[in-house]
Amino acid sequence: MILNSTPILVSVIVPVGTRKTPVAELYAEYKSGLEALGARYELIFVLDGPHPQYESALLQLVARGEPVSVVTLTRYFGEATALMVGFEHATGSIIVTLPAYLQVEGREIGKLIAALQEADIAIGYREPRASNWFQTVRRRSFHGLLRYVTRLRFRDLGCSARALKRRILEEVRLYGNQESFLPVLAERQGFRVAEVAVRQSQQDRHHEIYRPRNYLRGFLDIFNVFFLVRFTKRPLRFFGMIGIATLAVGMIELLYLVFDRIVFHIALGDRPALIIASLLIVLGVQIFALGLLGELVIFTHAGGSKDYQVDRVIQYPADLLAHSAEEQPQSERHRAVVGVDEQADQS
Amino acid sequence: MEVNRLLPKLSVIVPFYNEEDSIDPMHRAIIGAVEPLGISFEMVFVDDGSRDSTALRGEQIARRDPRVRFVKFRRNYGQTAAMAAGIDYASGEILVTMDGDLQNDPADIGLFLAKMAEGYDIVVGWRHRRQDKLLSRKVPSKVANWLIGKVTGVPIRDNGCSLKAFRGSLIKNIPLYSEMHRFIPAMAWIAGPRIAEIKVRHHARQFGKSKYGLSRIYKVLLDLMVIKTITSFTSRPLVWFSLLSLPLTLVGIAALIGGLLPPFSVSGRISMTLAGSGIIFWMGAVTLVASGTVGELVYKLGDMRPEDFARLTKRISVASHS
Repeated sequence: MILNSTPILVSVIVPVGTRKTPVAELYAEYKSGLEALGARYELIFVLDGPHPQYESALLQLVARGEPVSVVTLTRYFGEATALMVGFEHATGSIIVTLPAYLQVEGREIGKLIAALQEADIAIGYREPRASNWFQTVRRRSFHGLLRYVTRLRFRDLGCSARALKRRILEEVRLYGNQESFLPVLAERQGFRVAEVAVRQSQQDRHHEIYRPRNYLRGFLDIFNVFFLVRFTKRPLRFFGMIGIATLAVGMIELLYLVFDRIVFHIALGDRPALIIASLLIVLGVQIFALGLLGELVIFTHAGGSKDYQVDRVIQYPADLLAHSAEEQPQSERHRAVVGVDEQADQS
Repeated sequence: MEVNRLLPKLSVIVPFYNEEDSIDPMHRAIIGAVEPLGISFEMVFVDDGSRDSTALRGEQIARRDPRVRFVKFRRNYGQTAAMAAGIDYASGEILVTMDGDLQNDPADIGLFLAKMAEGYDIVVGWRHRRQDKLLSRKVPSKVANWLIGKVTGVPIRDNGCSLKAFRGSLIKNIPLYSEMHRFIPAMAWIAGPRIAEIKVRHHARQFGKSKYGLSRIYKVLLDLMVIKTITSFTSRPLVWFSLLSLPLTLVGIAALIGGLLPPFSVSGRISMTLAGSGIIFWMGAVTLVASGTVGELVYKLGDMRPEDFARLTKRISVASHS
């Protein structure tokens, strides 16, 4: 038993959505994994919208004196928001996120936390993975598309068992349903991401039903990440490219029609192609103007946000240097790192 | 090694990206060039997420020399971000930026300081005997510089030269983002500073290899467009977008007349196609004006407005005369 006076090391955040395992079973599994760590921990369940039965079961755990706290959101906000709300209540220096259903085995938590020695965020991938050929194709194409778009390689972003250092959630702001893309956004901010093989739980091996809506959402999510990652600081690069291309196609078509009119005397007013040409031209100009508008937003609001993330700023005060030169030149005792872990992004 | 507790007069800002062989010689060269000038100075070295031992050597230098402030990025963010970070972390009255690849010569810093003392706000270097490949580096750069000068109205012969000196209070208020470093003078131009250009030495690369190629033209062109918008029209987005919509309106009117009034039309009868295109062009014009209105709103709500820069230079010129 770990004393109550020791500070909490690991905060486990469990966002509770539609898919969930009964509380008793879930808690027993996670508890066994967490007890094995030998450190003090807490579990924060964030109920994303009202789940009355689940909530009362959780409150029984609280009444029993288990290290559990429950946060209830008034309506459905999305898993990423639930995660951020849970983080506001977390006190541990290591944050572990786990799904509300048994996706991985509880004893894999230790492995994820161990991986933090080398990385800032450790994400699990289910290995070996039980899936039929259709699920495999679906998963591969999702990650392939993501890799093409972000140039980052991940094996299993659908696995929500992750361990991260506190810093990450302090700096990477998530919202809505971005939770799957936390590793992508973290990597973009310069954090080191490690992938850890974790054992898939028996319960996770049934077929998950995907509706067309889910596919559409997945695709839109990738597009969203693509835009966030590549073009937020330079909207004209994105809109300009599309706008100029559209404008060019329209112009070429118009020139062709004018050429026909002059050389072959085909009346301009009789060609429906003229409508398309003018549509393309106008559309191109509009898209381009949108890009310019985006640039205007960024320029007028650039004061607060920085384009970079500083890892460390190192400067040794002069008097300290003089001393260490006399006594022990290489002493780590005199390490004077100014402003460690400075954060430069306030956007 | 007397270090001034007060703010240093000069900050030398050098970004490094995979320059493990250059960082030590650079440090020595800067000291060798600036120490004889007898002014208080600091060096801000920015490691732009290097993959080699640049960060390690930078730390060692900072450990030996209290005048070095070493800023380490978490990953590679590009030269503009590194320059911006250097400017943010510098505390000197005059900031000198230069490349970390030893192609700029720190011995030129003295010339920059002398020029700044004449009352200029920005002094830019001109690599008049550039030691680079002709076809892949010098020719595109000549074209780009000519274009930048034409569009922005800042006639600088060498925008790509990193060796520049700025009055700290001016440059710290100019937003630098994306890949804008080559437009710093143009950006600063909004504030209406006095800019001087001086010839600098340029050495061939000793270590490492060049990180910039020919594929930048398209990006430079788009950035230039942004600069033009920002420098000349930000304060009046509505006017600018309305101007942009003018050709669309005119084409629309012509097409409508041609389509609906038989005496003017080419085919001698009413043409719905022509009239339809006219309406489309008009729609486009209206949307553009609407965008201009949104732009006006954005500008009003923004905290970075060119008109605020006017105050900035005014204060600066008073300071430089006293």
